[in-house]
Amino acid sequence: MTVVPPRWHGSTMPSTEAPAVIETRALTKVYPGNVTALDGLTVSVGPGVTGLVGANGAGKSTLIKILLGLIPPTKGQAKVLGHDCATNGPTIRALLGYMPEHDCLPPDVTATEFVTHMGRMSGLPPTVAKERAAESLRHVGLHEERYRLIGTYSTGMKQRVKLAQALVGDPRLLLLDEPTNGLDPAGRTAMLELIARIGSEFGISIVVASHLLGEIERICDQLVAIDAGRLLRADTITSFTQASQVLAVEVEEGLAQLQAELAARGLIATAVQRVLLVPLGGDDTYDVVRDAVADLALPLCRLEQRRHQVEELFRDEEVTHV
Amino acid sequence: MSEVQVGVIHDLGYRGYDGPRLGHAQIVRALVWHSFRSAFGIGRGVKAKIIPILACVAMCLPALVNAFAVAQGNARLFGYDVYTPALRVVVLIIFIAAQAPELVSRDLRSHVLPLYFSRPLRRGDYPLAKYIALTLACLLLIEVPLLILYVGTIVSAKSGSAVWSQTRALIPGLGVGLMWAVLIAAFGLVLASLTGRRAYATGIVAISCFLTWTLSLVLIQAEGGITATSTGARIAGLFSPFTILDGVRIWLGGTNQGEDANPGHFGPLYGLVAVLLLAACLGGLAARYRKVSRS
Repeated sequence: MTVVPPRWHGSTMPSTEAPAVIETRALTKVYPGNVTALDGLTVSVGPGVTGLVGANGAGKSTLIKILLGLIPPTKGQAKVLGHDCATNGPTIRALLGYMPEHDCLPPDVTATEFVTHMGRMSGLPPTVAKERAAESLRHVGLHEERYRLIGTYSTGMKQRVKLAQALVGDPRLLLLDEPTNGLDPAGRTAMLELIARIGSEFGISIVVASHLLGEIERICDQLVAIDAGRLLRADTITSFTQASQVLAVEVEEGLAQLQAELAARGLIATAVQRVLLVPLGGDDTYDVVRDAVADLALPLCRLEQRRHQVEELFRDEEVTHV
Repeated sequence: MSEVQVGVIHDLGYRGYDGPRLGHAQIVRALVWHSFRSAFGIGRGVKAKIIPILACVAMCLPALVNAFAVAQGNARLFGYDVYTPALRVVVLIIFIAAQAPELVSRDLRSHVLPLYFSRPLRRGDYPLAKYIALTLACLLLIEVPLLILYVGTIVSAKSGSAVWSQTRALIPGLGVGLMWAVLIAAFGLVLASLTGRRAYATGIVAISCFLTWTLSLVLIQAEGGITATSTGARIAGLFSPFTILDGVRIWLGGTNQGEDANPGHFGPLYGLVAVLLLAACLGGLAARYRKVSRS
């Protein structure tokens, strides 16, 4: 029998006193052939929804495999819900739900059968597995279609089945690897809303790995950014977005004029091609830009908030550190 | 009926599960049962049931016919430990070539294994459960005809001693069946686990079985047949799992003369090769899934 810790009953802002869901210390993974996937990663993740961002090959999937206890770290230590990943793999996996990045569903069974079987494999008794499979599929929005063969599903529905099988064992922590992969914009939004709901209403901590910062920052309480196996930054979402959001201003003429005017008003704008990038401090930044443009009577054709891609985040880091 | 509310959607919200969870051994047992059922196409489509049913019918038919004949006062034709040697080999090859991929290649093909490995199962549990399931399926296929034959014979037995002699003949027969199931399941499963493409997996298993079996038979013939006593004829049976099994049976005192191998004083060698082959198959299976679980 597995002892299951109590569910996390969420507040939207994770407090620093809450016990860490994931904790790694100097975690290093070197694959045969001297390929370093993780390089001395030390990070602590609290309850709530956490975004794990990094470019492809940054070490996200390796980190997830170590957390699942599937591969041993070369050096260092990783703990999930207080259990050591290297020695307590089965215990940790009883508390985890994992949604892999790639396709992982057999086409020739119905969603109900498949999720029920996966529930059994998570350690649920037969009748409970059936009930929870139906419930998980309902939560992800597949109720009517659940008796259809998975092979007949659309990509969006398959992603939902993948999420349902992760949810079926009532995990304390969900590891979602690129959950919006292959979805159209509407499907992405729906999936993100679903994840946000699971995080806030279901009381399940979630780690979402993604290479699209702009996408997952909407639903995360905190972000962990890794690059080349190293920790880039780990912080709450507010401090992240404050540092990473910019306002793009495009005027038909008088770019240099506007830049000087903004500098006079205390905003350091950088000109990139025909656009001025202004660091977004708060709502008053919009007002300052609007007033500057109006006072100069310039033809404004674009004023938009831009989200940084992960790569830009790295550039920011380098600038602030150098 | 007045209290039935119409058009009200109850959102029950998320409900956790705080009840008992199965231990590791029970999860493995659930996987064994699930795989055992799918070895016979139960819980699958109609197509998945064709070969298991044909195999069962082909295996049981001679036993049924003979059991009926025995009830009419005729003799029992088939020995419990050999049954119908050529038919048994062919049916088992077809069954294992079709159903071993059903158990392992499907999961490889649809990349479903990460979902198993991210659950409380340990690394070796998945191949172990599949192996136990396929062994049980083969065992059922081999032993049921023997039991039909046995029941058909003792029903018309005239004395207690006749029943006892039948039982004494049956027990080694069941033992031989177990030996077959244990080795053939391992042999088929390790070959099928090499590829996720089901047709290839079936081909690999069928070709490996038929080719080695034919090779051994041809070599035995070339060395003068099963009655020949030359070293070549005696060790020619070591080239195929089926002739190895028959050699071990004869070495262990099989009642009937073998139809495939004739090991003579090389009997212990057949035993050793059988054990080594089993170890190699199971080791290969474990290594295969160690690799898969990390990728």
